[in-house]
Amino acid sequence: MAGAIIENMSTKKLVIVGVILLLFQAFAFMVGGLIAPSPTTAVHYLATKCVDTVKHRQESKWFMPWGPDQCAKIRSFDEAMAKKIEANNIVFAVHIPLPHKEMSAWFQFMLVILQFDIAFKMYNQIEDGALVTVDVGLAYRDDTVSEWTEMAHSFEQRKLSCNFTTTKTFENEGRYYECDLLPFMEVGSVAHKYYLLNIRLPVNERKKVNVGIGEIKDIRLVSIHQNGGFTKVWFAMKTFLTPSILIIMIWYWRRITLMSRPPVLLEKVILALGISMTFINIPVEWFSVGFNWTWMLLFGDIRQGIFYSMLLSFWIIFCGEHLMDQTERNRFSVYWKQVGPIVFGSFCLFIFDMCERGVQLTNPFYSIWASDVGTELAMAFIIVAGICACLYFLFLCFMVFQVFRNISGKRTSLPAMSKARRLHYEGLIFRFKFLMLVTLFCAAMTVIFFIVSQVNEGHWHWGEHTVQVNSAFFTGIYGMWNLYVFGIMFLYAPSHKRYGDDNSSGQCITGDAGANSGEDIQLTTTITHVEGPTELYRMTGKGAQE
Amino acid sequence: MRSRLPRTACLLRLTALCILLSHTAAYFGLTGREPLVFLPGPFSNEPPTGKAHLKQCEQMPLTRRQKRLCRREPGLAETLRESVRLSLLECRYQFRNERWNCSLEGRASLLKRAFKETAFLLAVSSAALTHALAKACSSGRMERCTCDDSPGIQHREAWQWGVCGDNLKYSTKFLKKFLGQKMVNRDMRAQVDAHNINVGVRAVRSGLKTTCKCHGVSGSCALRTCWKQLSPFHDTGRLLKYRYDTAVRVLSVTNVATGETELTGPRRHGQSLRTTDLVYLEESPSFCRPSRYSPGTGGRSCAKDTSCQSLCCGRGYNTAMHLTSLSCHCQVRWCCHVECQTCVREEEVYTCKSA
Repeated sequence: MAGAIIENMSTKKLVIVGVILLLFQAFAFMVGGLIAPSPTTAVHYLATKCVDTVKHRQESKWFMPWGPDQCAKIRSFDEAMAKKIEANNIVFAVHIPLPHKEMSAWFQFMLVILQFDIAFKMYNQIEDGALVTVDVGLAYRDDTVSEWTEMAHSFEQRKLSCNFTTTKTFENEGRYYECDLLPFMEVGSVAHKYYLLNIRLPVNERKKVNVGIGEIKDIRLVSIHQNGGFTKVWFAMKTFLTPSILIIMIWYWRRITLMSRPPVLLEKVILALGISMTFINIPVEWFSVGFNWTWMLLFGDIRQGIFYSMLLSFWIIFCGEHLMDQTERNRFSVYWKQVGPIVFGSFCLFIFDMCERGVQLTNPFYSIWASDVGTELAMAFIIVAGICACLYFLFLCFMVFQVFRNISGKRTSLPAMSKARRLHYEGLIFRFKFLMLVTLFCAAMTVIFFIVSQVNEGHWHWGEHTVQVNSAFFTGIYGMWNLYVFGIMFLYAPSHKRYGDDNSSGQCITGDAGANSGEDIQLTTTITHVEGPTELYRMTGKGAQE
Repeated sequence: MRSRLPRTACLLRLTALCILLSHTAAYFGLTGREPLVFLPGPFSNEPPTGKAHLKQCEQMPLTRRQKRLCRREPGLAETLRESVRLSLLECRYQFRNERWNCSLEGRASLLKRAFKETAFLLAVSSAALTHALAKACSSGRMERCTCDDSPGIQHREAWQWGVCGDNLKYSTKFLKKFLGQKMVNRDMRAQVDAHNINVGVRAVRSGLKTTCKCHGVSGSCALRTCWKQLSPFHDTGRLLKYRYDTAVRVLSVTNVATGETELTGPRRHGQSLRTTDLVYLEESPSFCRPSRYSPGTGGRSCAKDTSCQSLCCGRGYNTAMHLTSLSCHCQVRWCCHVECQTCVREEEVYTCKSA
């Protein structure tokens, strides 16, 4: 890994490359901020209370809240009380989307959140730890006249966690509890135009089903989907980025295979980083527009997970290979202690994701948070993953500290070294510091933008233009890590400039035999087949100090 | 008609009367001139035909423009009725311990004047309509909600691309259109009314709660969606009642520069009014005795230690022992099944003396 392009490039060229990358970066931010709409839309729905008038209900009966064949409605439950309607005959109907609109495959996913409006009554309070059991059916159709086709049907339990903010007196009857949001449904692809949800709250006193749930007045749903415009911009970006990374990756690997020595570990890791980036880039999502692939959401999660763990491993190995402590590394197994937490942590998150989104492939209403055991399990997975992340960062910080300690140690002894060894170390130090700086910059940008997008309302008005901060965050950060991988593969590829004077540098090394043997080993392991610096390199005077 | 009237406040009453004749019909909710339109039989299901709303629109006291809007939008008639119900319930609830208890008697005379109570009626009506419209949008009862302003195919594209606004933005805009509020040089009373209507809309807006949901990789907050949620109408009502208690009496001042009349509060001269304050022009009557504004407080029941003193206007109160039967130890089963025992309780009831 000696003699990378970054060392042999003149400062001017390096600046030009940097400026070009920055321009692309700014472009990525602008695409998200100015062209794309906000990433997601939330739509409110208020469930319509329908009455199931049929005594023996057939399974195929669906209730429409509005439109030509709408159901028999009641306005409030006082009306139901007067008409002596049983709880089991009340159906909450929600049609997604609202009238005159239709869903589209560009929306990618749809998740629905459930909220109950529960009025406080002295004689009908919510009991502690009350569970709501909902009997819910989901149906779809693709035109406004055909019959509904059932997509899923399930009995689900959700835990009510509500609190009443004022005093519980007769005076305050009729006020609403403040209840937490309940996860309700998640579909990984929006392949149909119209969806219909029919929700029942069956009551069975003997089995203690839906007892002590308070006076439910209304059911509200919020559906969240990705905006079609954002999806299009996102796909366009991926389609553009895939060949860029792919080309630079092939170029990079060709350069390495051209060399006389086998590739070292760090070079392999960089290639792996490129492969995982390409894997995340490949726009397979285009298929989700044409096919009903519900697993796309899960697949996207897995791809992201692979990339993140690859990136984290890369940092560790990069640090390790620049430790300069005369230990023979260059093997993946040396890093098991540091990479172990990453693998284990991502495995935990993978299991968690499989438990949540994996099960949702078969039952869109499933939520791991709905049951106590599930919540504990999920929390356990997340906590373990968190511990792994902490462990990893401790290792990483320790390694970075070690590198810096060694650097300062080497600094003092640099002038005493022979030219070849000095330049070898200067190259190592420069490469390390450069990557360190760029990585810190990228990480800081990610964190800053993350915070901005969390704190912010989502869009800024800037003159006449509206800047979508959240979209800019996604496209900008995504573009940034792509450019990062691109830059690493380009700048850390072996330079061809040294091929010319193999002999001279070989002499340099042999002439340097007086140094202690430990250092020699290290030096030879990394640069036996490679060689020291070129005449050009010396002339440009590019060194670590710069 | 109004333009011929004298500009200053000396003929205020006449002005008010004239405005009333010229445009109260344009009002809505609790401020309509006609008796309130009540729901035609509480338990009737409207037939699911497309023409039912036309009849309902005709039955309502609306202006020609409003009727046209009502006919265009099948869900509007029901929403208007819902807003009347909502505002009436809330007004009664908020004023249950006041001398003026939001009684419907005398409402017409009250609306001719510019009291604090008139201001509240206007504000609560506009707030209720905004609230009801937003709710009707989310239940799909209204067909033309957000994003549907753009004509034809365009709105479908806007929806798919994802640039539609929220329902509340729509309902505020619709309200403006419905009331025909235009920024023309209006006289003082009209300005006061417009201001108070705006206070109502703002009260709904300020009660919006932002709720967020994280749904990134493994449920992380990398991807987060936030939305604004209407607070229960009780909260809006409470806010408006507070605004009523702190209402500001205003004067009209002619702006020298523009020649237009502006409203100013006496306490902060030179400063424009805060947009959240309710404003009024005249001090309210006491509402103690029967008048054309209210039936008086005689016969109202009150709480002995708290409200009797002020409610009965110093006339004193009668104390009576009543045996009331209450339902107690109720077994409630969702939704619609209640089994109660009847408990009989002896209660002291205080009622204000009539004269």
